[in-house]
This record gives sequence, C-alpha cells and structure tokens, in this order.
Amino acid sequence: MDEFLIGVLSNIGLMSLLALSAWLLLVVGEISFGQQAFFALGAYAAGIATALYGWPLPLGLFAGVVVGALAGFAVAIPTMRLTGLAFAIATLAFAELMRLLLQLWVFQREVDGERLGPNAVEGFRGVRWVYDHDLSALGYLGVIWGIVVVVLAALFLCERSRIGLACRAVGADAELAEAQGLPAARLKILVATVAGGLAALGGGLYVHLATYVEPQHFSIMLGVHALAYGLIGGLGTALGPILGVVLDIGLLEALQEIARYRMIVFGGAVAVLLILRPRGLLDEALVRRLTRGKP
Amino acid sequence: MLRVGDVVTAYGQLEALKGVSVAAESGKITCLLGPNGAGKTTLMMTVTGLLKPKRGSIAFEGQELVGLSPSEIVARGVALVPENRLVFPDMSVRENLEAGAYLRRKPAEIAADLDRMFERFPRLKERAGQSAGTLSGGEQQMLAVARALMSRPRLLLMDEPSLGLAPLIVEEIFRIVAELNRDGTSIFLVEQNAHMALKVAHHFYLIEQGRVTFSGSPGQLAEDEVIQRAYLGSKRG
Amino acid sequence: MLDLIQNTIDGVMIGGAYALLALGFTLTFGVMRRLNLAFGAIVLCGLYAGAAAHQALGWGLLGSIAATLAVAVAAGLYVERLCFRALAESASIAAMVSSFAIWMQLEEIAALLMPRRTYAYPALSEARPWEWAGLSLRPDQLAMAAVALGAMAALGWTLRRTRFGLAARAVATAPLAARLAGIEPARIGSAMFLLACGLGGLAGALIAAVDSQVTIKFGMWAMLKGLVAMTLGGIGSIPGAVIGGLALGVIESNAQWYLGAEWRDIVAYGLLFAVLYWRRGRERPWTNS
Repeated sequence: MDEFLIGVLSNIGLMSLLALSAWLLLVVGEISFGQQAFFALGAYAAGIATALYGWPLPLGLFAGVVVGALAGFAVAIPTMRLTGLAFAIATLAFAELMRLLLQLWVFQREVDGERLGPNAVEGFRGVRWVYDHDLSALGYLGVIWGIVVVVLAALFLCERSRIGLACRAVGADAELAEAQGLPAARLKILVATVAGGLAALGGGLYVHLATYVEPQHFSIMLGVHALAYGLIGGLGTALGPILGVVLDIGLLEALQEIARYRMIVFGGAVAVLLILRPRGLLDEALVRRLTRGKP
Repeated sequence: MLRVGDVVTAYGQLEALKGVSVAAESGKITCLLGPNGAGKTTLMMTVTGLLKPKRGSIAFEGQELVGLSPSEIVARGVALVPENRLVFPDMSVRENLEAGAYLRRKPAEIAADLDRMFERFPRLKERAGQSAGTLSGGEQQMLAVARALMSRPRLLLMDEPSLGLAPLIVEEIFRIVAELNRDGTSIFLVEQNAHMALKVAHHFYLIEQGRVTFSGSPGQLAEDEVIQRAYLGSKRG
Repeated sequence: MLDLIQNTIDGVMIGGAYALLALGFTLTFGVMRRLNLAFGAIVLCGLYAGAAAHQALGWGLLGSIAATLAVAVAAGLYVERLCFRALAESASIAAMVSSFAIWMQLEEIAALLMPRRTYAYPALSEARPWEWAGLSLRPDQLAMAAVALGAMAALGWTLRRTRFGLAARAVATAPLAARLAGIEPARIGSAMFLLACGLGGLAGALIAAVDSQVTIKFGMWAMLKGLVAMTLGGIGSIPGAVIGGLALGVIESNAQWYLGAEWRDIVAYGLLFAVLYWRRGRERPWTNS
C-alpha cells in the first residue's frame, strides 16, 4: 500500500472516532459544537504520558480516554439541563475556553536532554513513541482501524441493548421518554462521558500519528465538521458518521486536481443532500428497512 | 355554506378522522359535540388548512378548500378561534386585534372594526395597551374571538371555547356566540360542553372516535344521552 | 478609575457592532427557530465585495458599505433558499449543518477570488481622537456606535410600528396562531432572514471601516461574537441581544486592559458558560421577559 493511501486511511480512522463522538450526542438529541475539546484533551494527555513520562502507547491512550471521559462527565453535569441551542453554545464556550487555555499552558520536562511538552501557542512537539518503537505506518494504520472496529462493535452491541433503545427514545422525545420512566438526564450524562472518551481516544491516536499538535488545530471548525459527518452519513447507525468522514476526506483526496474548489463542490453537495435526506444517507428509516426481520 | 365530505385525516398511520361528513348552514350555529380524542380539533385544523386530509373534500360556498394554505383560507372568509385561545402573549390587546386583520389592507376599515370590537368587548378596551398574556382566561377567550372576527369571516370556527373557563365565563362566551350569530355571522363550533352548546345550536353532530355518529337538531336526542356521549363516547364506541 | 471609564467607553463602542451581529442571529432564530451558521460567511462575502469595489473601482466609504449590504443580502438569499426554505420545518439540525457546509463554500469562493491575506476597506474617519480630562474618544468609533444605535432604533421601530414587524412578532411568539390569522411564517421568515443579513453586513462594514481592512478570518470571528453576545443576553431575546452585545464589548475591553490580551476571550467564554449555567439557558424567543 502506498504511503499516501495509508495516510488517508489513517486520517479517516481518527476522524471517525471524533465523528462518532458527536454522533452519539446527536442520537440522544443534543448538538455539540465542542467535541474537539475532548479530542484535544486526549491528544495532550496521551502525548504527555508517552513522551514526557515514557508510558507505553496503550497506557498513554488509556490515560487520554480517562481524561476525556472525566472531562465529558464534568461538562455534562452543568450543561445537561440546557437544551437545544443553549447546550450547543455551552459546549462551544467550553471548547473555546479549552483551546485558549491550551494556548497559555506551558508544561515542559527534560527528556533525554531535550525539553518536551506543551508549550503554549507553539504547540506540543516530539510525541515520537510510534517512531521510536519502529511501528510502521501500515502497522499504526492497523492499530487505528483495530480500535475503530472494536468501538463500532461495542456501539452495535449497545444499539441492540436496552440502553441503546433508551437512548433512541430520549433522542426522539426526551420529555416523553422521561414520562415513561426513562432517566433521560442520567442517560445523557452517560452518553456525554462516553463521547468525551471516544473523542479523546481519537485525539490520542492523532498526536502519535502527527507527533505534533498545536491548540490552533482544535478550533470550532473541527468540531462542526465532526458534527456534520454524522448528519451527512446518517443518524440511523454508527456507520453513518464513518460514511460521512469517508465521503469528505475521500473526496478531498480523490479530487486533488480540483482541490482548490473542493469546498465549493462539497459544500453545495452537502446542502443538496440534506434537502433530499435531512437525517443523512443512512437515516433511521433506511436502517430499519435494511434490518427488518433480523432480531 | 361549509360542506365537509368524507374527510380522512391521519397522523402518520393513525387516522384521527375516518371519513367525516358534516355541513354548516349559512346564518346558523352548528355544533360538533364529542369526547376528547374524537377528532374535533383535527377537523378544525383540517378545515383551516393546518392539516392536509388524506382524502375527502371541503367546500366553502361551493369552492374547494383542500389544498389551499391557511392564509388563503382566511382570505376566503373562514376564521378559527383556536383551542386554548392562543393569543399572542407578548403583544398588546390592540396589537393582537391588528394581527387578526393582517390580510386586510384598508386602514380606515380596520380602525372602524377595531372600534366595533372595543364596543362589543368593553373589557378589551379597558386593557387595550396591556399585553395579552396578563389577561384572565375569559378575557383571553374574548380576545381570541375578537381577533378572529377582525379578519371579517363569513364563517367563524370555534374550537372548544369553554375549555378551562369558569361556568359564569362560559355562559358569557355562549351569550356572545348567540349575539354574533344574531348579527349575521355563521358559526361552526366544536365542544365537549353539550349542555351549553345545545342551548345555542340550530343543528348538532356527535363525533366519536373519528366518525360522525349522530346528526340532528337539539331536542331530537335526550340531553342526558348527548351529554353522556359528548363526554365519554357511547358504550358501543 | 479613569482606566475603567475609558475601557467601558471603548467597550460600548465596539459593543454596538456586536449587538448588531447578535441581532442578526436573534432575528432569524426568533422567527425560524433555526441557527444560521453561514451568517459570518455571508457578512464576509459582503465585506469582500465592499473591499473589491474600493480597490478596483475606487469607491469610497458609502459606496463600499452599499456594496457590502447588497452582496450580504444576495448571499443571504442564496443561503436562505438552499439551506432553510428547501428543508422541512422539523429539520432544524439539517438546516444548521447545511448552512455550515455553505459557510465553507462561501469562504472558499471568497478566498479563491481574493487570495491576499488582507484587503483595505475605506476608513470610517481619519480624524484624530478627542481628548478630554484624560479620556480619549476616537471619532470613527463614535460614528460606528452612532450608526449601530441608529440601526437598532430603526429595527425597533420596524418591529413595533409596521405591519411586517407585527407579523414577525406574531410568528416568533405564537406561530400557530399567526398562521390562523393568515400570516405566512415562511415568507416572514425569509424576509427576516434577509433583514438579519443586512444588519450583519452593516455591522461588518462598520467594524471593517474602523479597522480600515478585512481578512478572511472575519467570517468566523463575526459568527462567534454574534453567538456569544446573543447568548449572554438570553437566547432569542431582542433587548437581550443589545444588552449582550454591549456587555461583551465592555467585558472584553476591561479584561484586555487588566488581564492582558490573551485573557480577553477566556474571560468572555468563561462568563458565557457561567451565564448559561446560571440562567439555565432557556430559549425565550422575542418575549418581553
């Protein structure tokens, strides 16, 4: 496989995790403009763990997930009683705060005679675990997609469980679900926690691929892209956000000759698609039709 | 004047009206009585164009209303006083009335009608500058009626005008209904309060579970039975 | 104390423009209950048109502002047709994402046509600041605040005193009752959308004229400022948008002075988060409360 393709597929895998994170909240009926904050937290936490303290990659990723999930939980507690636009803007405010604070944060250590660690707007350089351990690009691609497949499998299991059904019910009509005895608020907090962890996982994988991040990467653009992927691909299944990522990044690379006009074509195509399918390509109705008859 | 023929209206798969045919005569008060969930409000929303029927026809003065927008139907002379009054709470009483005359273009006529409304509903005049949300339930109901009248309808539709109001206020509302009719407005109202409705109606229908189950004039059916069926539906359902 | 007064004056000046941006969001949200993420990009298109007219045709301040308004409204018409009117009422998330996609599209078109980093915009006034008792007042900022105030007064008059304003308030506060009165929410919504784009264009023109320049980042900046100001004052409230805009201006200028430039936005976002938490972020479209 050539390097270029590996790079594209790796990016698709990473962005899929962020897109799934935004999609999870869409399933319970909340719009988040701020999942990029957890992506950033995961990147910084995992990077610090491996580059500054010499932890192995799996442990570093795990640390990132824990930080992301805790942050997701901590943000969910005060914001879950907000609805609609207020929730979306609260998540935006949080994410921008996080980004601005990262722009100020300096936390450096001497490692093998080199100062490493987050350095405010300069960013965080030298997260080289993957290269130091001779993991090939193809091998790391395998790691990324192995994780994506495991995450997807887990989400599919959840989708069929009682929790999955409850989440769909809350997303369709939170008040009705609550009237039927479902703990809507607690479910949303749970989902926000998981979503924070998922985004952080993507961030942890990202920083080890790129070896370098800076706060500027985690602007609202990234978050709204993640949100858009879910809606383009479809809200009906966890494959929806992944389809959205594939369409966007895939198209970006496929249309390299006309890359300068990419957003002109893609933006217009998305707008037209949403007119035809307001809940995405793989929407709930289609998914129901495809899976009818199966348990 | 209004002829509803075999109308079926559905919410998704669920048919709320299963082939309803009713008629309202010019110059008369026609009542449609029935319990909650029988399809009364659905019928009102279908006639005013807020809901599209799956099939059937709605003719007003010989012209088909199905397929027209709510605004076109108001322009033809059909106005609805909606359930629960639905005034514009943050607008003044006067502004509420002006909004009712939205489709009319002649300021002088609108001003004259405004004066007429204040004459008929003196309490609204007292509160002309107050926001409608601060009015009592009865006053809001009068405002909703007056607002509908501001479009100069030839047929006034009313959706449960007695809902949630104290008995004395209900009596006043029905006195106004009778008065409006005496002054020449045709009225088609849906109600659960059969006792009051039968006092003013010239003709009435019973609707139960999306079907019309009786049509006749007051007195043709024992009032007890009407009340029973209007509140609870008949036992055979 | 003098610093505080000076900062507050400066904050109120820029706050007037923020208020117009916030009103742009509030007007659309009130009547349509939807968020137009392309708002900043629409303003950007207008500003680029104004800058192009200035550079290529030598137009002055008024000509550039006129070009800005015209193109902002035209871009608004495009977004409204494609992302809002074509979608069902219930598809509010789809409309938002669709407007995001068009934001990207418009910004890329702007960057393709005018690829430089900055473009000159005619200055509002080059008169020197007035000094008085240790305070200074920039005439161009004062002009910006005055025009913003005038625009808000005109908007208030339109909403209070015209048939269109009456209908718009009816749609915003009780859409079903409005339809029963013969008002067509879709038409009112379209008109309000374009009016909002015009106000956004005016706000953008004022800010660009004070800075004498415009960059491609203006779109995102304007969108964030508008959203934050709208939310600070209470989502959907018209007086709230004005208060939110002024408050944001005053907070920013004081935070910048006392804490440093890097803390300016941190304080603003922190406060926004706190306000949402404290007021429970209820949406109250156009109500008096």
